[in-house]
Amino acid sequence: MTTVLVTGLAIGMLYAAIALVYNVMFSTSKVLSMTTGHIAMLGGVFGAYFMQVLQIHWVLALAGSVVVGAAFGALTEVLAVRRVLQRSDEHLWLLSTLALATTVQQGVGLWWGTEPKPFPRLIPQDFSAGIADQKYWLPIGAAILIALGLDQFYRRTMYGKLFIAMSEDAFAARARGVSTDRVRLLSFVVSGVLGSFAGFAAGQLTFAFFALGHVLTLSGFIALAVGGLGSNVGALIGGAALGLLSAFASYYFGGEYQQTIAVGVLMLVLLLKPEGLLGAKNVRPV
Amino acid sequence: MKHCWVRAFKKTMMAATLMALANLGLAQTVKIGWLSSLTGPLSVAAQSQNLGVQMAVDEINKGGGILGRQIELLTRDTAGDPTKAVNFAQQLAFSDKVQFVIGPVNSGEALATTPVLARAGIPNVLIAVVDELTDPVKYPRAFRVVSTNQQWISTANDYALKTLKKKRIAVIADTTGFGAATAKTAIDMMARSQVTPVYTVLLDPNKTDVAGEMSKAREANADLVMAWTSSTGLLARLLNTRGEMGWDVPVIGHPSMTAPQVRQLLNKPENWENAFAPGYRTITYDADGKLPERTQALEDRMRAKLGGGAIDVNMWWIAMGYDTVKVIEHAVKSAGSTDPAAVQKALENTKAYPGVFATYSWGPTQRNGFPDSDMVMNAANTFKDGSFKRAPY
Amino acid sequence: MTGAAHSKKIGLVLGALLVVTLPFWAGDQYQLHLAALIAVYWILVAGLNLVVGFTGQLSVGHVGLLSISAYTFAILGGTLGWNPYLAMVAAGGLGGLCGLLLGLPSLRLPGFYFAMATMAFAMIVNELVLANPQLTGGGIGLPGPAFPAPFDTPAGLYYLVAALAAGVTWLTWNIARRMWGRAFISIRDNPVAAQAVGVPVLRAKLSAFVFSGVTAGFAGSAFASLQSYITPDTFVFELSLFFFVCIIIGGRGSLIGPFLGVVVLTALPEMAAPLAKLGNLFYGVLLLVVVLVVPEGIGRMLELIGERIRPRVARHEAVKPDLARLTRVLAEQA
Repeated sequence: MTTVLVTGLAIGMLYAAIALVYNVMFSTSKVLSMTTGHIAMLGGVFGAYFMQVLQIHWVLALAGSVVVGAAFGALTEVLAVRRVLQRSDEHLWLLSTLALATTVQQGVGLWWGTEPKPFPRLIPQDFSAGIADQKYWLPIGAAILIALGLDQFYRRTMYGKLFIAMSEDAFAARARGVSTDRVRLLSFVVSGVLGSFAGFAAGQLTFAFFALGHVLTLSGFIALAVGGLGSNVGALIGGAALGLLSAFASYYFGGEYQQTIAVGVLMLVLLLKPEGLLGAKNVRPV
Repeated sequence: MKHCWVRAFKKTMMAATLMALANLGLAQTVKIGWLSSLTGPLSVAAQSQNLGVQMAVDEINKGGGILGRQIELLTRDTAGDPTKAVNFAQQLAFSDKVQFVIGPVNSGEALATTPVLARAGIPNVLIAVVDELTDPVKYPRAFRVVSTNQQWISTANDYALKTLKKKRIAVIADTTGFGAATAKTAIDMMARSQVTPVYTVLLDPNKTDVAGEMSKAREANADLVMAWTSSTGLLARLLNTRGEMGWDVPVIGHPSMTAPQVRQLLNKPENWENAFAPGYRTITYDADGKLPERTQALEDRMRAKLGGGAIDVNMWWIAMGYDTVKVIEHAVKSAGSTDPAAVQKALENTKAYPGVFATYSWGPTQRNGFPDSDMVMNAANTFKDGSFKRAPY
Repeated sequence: MTGAAHSKKIGLVLGALLVVTLPFWAGDQYQLHLAALIAVYWILVAGLNLVVGFTGQLSVGHVGLLSISAYTFAILGGTLGWNPYLAMVAAGGLGGLCGLLLGLPSLRLPGFYFAMATMAFAMIVNELVLANPQLTGGGIGLPGPAFPAPFDTPAGLYYLVAALAAGVTWLTWNIARRMWGRAFISIRDNPVAAQAVGVPVLRAKLSAFVFSGVTAGFAGSAFASLQSYITPDTFVFELSLFFFVCIIIGGRGSLIGPFLGVVVLTALPEMAAPLAKLGNLFYGVLLLVVVLVVPEGIGRMLELIGERIRPRVARHEAVKPDLARLTRVLAEQA
């Protein structure tokens, strides 16, 4: 039982980290990019590449993955978001980020291979540690670290405040002299950093697998929707809830209805409370 | 005036001759269509099979071709998508007008393309394992080269029940169509020996952790775990969890379990012990550590293409790919032409054709060419240089 | 008849002629099959166009409707042996019902949330299909029944599908032109203003979804028959995206645009076939390029080209007061 609890929490925290990344992106651009899950995938794949193939120490490999994530985040903003936002067309960023996500997934599949590849041990640890195994606690730790880091970022740094300003009213921010384009680019870079960090931490759990992107995008979104868009605590709660629910459902009922149950919960929460558990209430225009 | 007419006549004759020659030239090649999922699921297997197919085509062409005609191989990547597979099958059949089609490797795709090719009357060499694929009446020109799913399951079942003499079996499969269907067939087969599994579960192939399910199997006092999934990730996780739990129970399953990709995903090499999967006599070292000579010969020829060092992919994929083209060569040679009806007759009358992967026999009502006698059980951790040792018997 | 309308009529007649005579000038059975596949996709996309292009709802789950109707048709017409036409109508009806269910969340959920909900719907349908093998054949799938003569030959099936597609196109065109079409567009562009003006938002949205469900029902039946065998692997999420992309690339709010989108996007992978492994990557890159370069869609691009070829002559509308009449009226008043 505790095993199921811990495993569910571990994967749930990966979803929560993705939800936190969504929050960062959304705050400055009001865009929910379909590439979010792929950022985590890149973190895992490149981490494995640096450590296994190039034989680099894991701290440096982590730095490398984070740089790759940041670059991908910047690429997403420049290529798929910036031009599209100028036309203020809701469908278009969905499509452009989706096209970019597909391209990246296919490219990584061609380069890295379509089979899951191993992600090496980071901290020397025996494999009989059971629920204390690092593959469970690294993602949990990473998600909490990201949430705490974001909290401090928003509260204490100038750029954090700029993010909040932009999320509340982008026009007002621009009127006060904030370069919204640059701040948005920075937010996507930050999201890339956080996403790849989360993917790296969860690598031992998910293996370095090219097809993770779409699954993480959807699951991370479910976590975000349940917890409430814009709330970091909500993201953690939503992710934990989703992970635990999936694990217990699979344990008791088998894997056939896993998606159905996960989505069923999402639908239920959204129909009762459309803004999520801790989300800001959407003021209706009329 | 007359001069113009003569000139025009000459030009027409030249053109006609050139066209006739061109057509003759076209008819000089034997066109083989190759439906492979080079990207997408089962791509590792498909890429290895591709190596085998290409090697066979190169060898035959270098030796003068089949009946003096060069082979033209048209490769199409179906990416595991049945709609694409059907489109490409149609394209190969009607647009490119191939004489043979090999594949596809994915069961889902094969179920969709086999009827299409049957309607076009094109001989189809099958390499997918799902049992429903062959039917001498509905698909008279579809001949299977690979073993059937039934052969895999019965070999595994016999080993579990008769050799290892286990009775409390836990069946773990994945939620794909193939996994669910295979689990069902395995359970039905066990029922015929009056054995019911003590625990059955279907898992998402990408589920990141299987500790819960394995503990449940242990609590049910299972003395053997059967894993019917082709997902190397899931197989590796099952073996790793078994190691972490310190549970010494044999694991039998899908041949993917013996793939080197699984080895890489294991936490400790010991986790690969006590794991067995159906394998092939031709890809197994005998008691003296030797491979059958045709396998060894192919390996020696392939080694340069595979980088020169130890072979790190499962040799049976390569051998099977190689054999598909050789079977076509055999069929054309026996029939004396590429006429589909003659080819069908030739293959129906084939008894014990010596391939590398197996010795094939088909018949008027038998479209599965792989003999039961060529099935063996392999021990996973004996993988070396592309082949295996037999499981303890 | 103005010049533009005249040329449109000619274009329509030519197009119809091409479609009707296609089996004769198409190269071989493969191209005929491809044309029939395009027609099947278009039946679904025409209905989906009303939902996505006109009403602006981000539905990426229509492959679920295709799957449901294909399986319904295969079960009713194949396993249970119903008359294929009856089975097709039943599949259409069930598709409409499921379309309604799919559309219900759109009333509460904002755009992106609804998109995710539809994506999840498609995944759930797939899970349900796999979890009920006694009904759907599970991973093995089901054979798709053929229609009775004269539609059991490839050319015959093509004509049946083309006729269906033409019918659906005519329906959609009429809906789009008249009251409902305007209602849909108003909901897409400004739901609040639409409601204020009296557009029945609830009814309109749900009607669009039901219609798209019915067309998906017919498309699914035709698809099952055309492919002659259906498995769960066929109905992947990527297909839903494909439909969605056809509409966006074709251009929202038009009919000819999404149609061209379907034609181009179906034919493209076939032409990229020799690329083998690189095919999918090429497809993704192409998609990105099209979205960035022609975001308004092919339809708009065609309009722009049309403007270049035949620029609309601006009629000189000057306001000239009729002074004599004005003087007379003022004199009468005085």
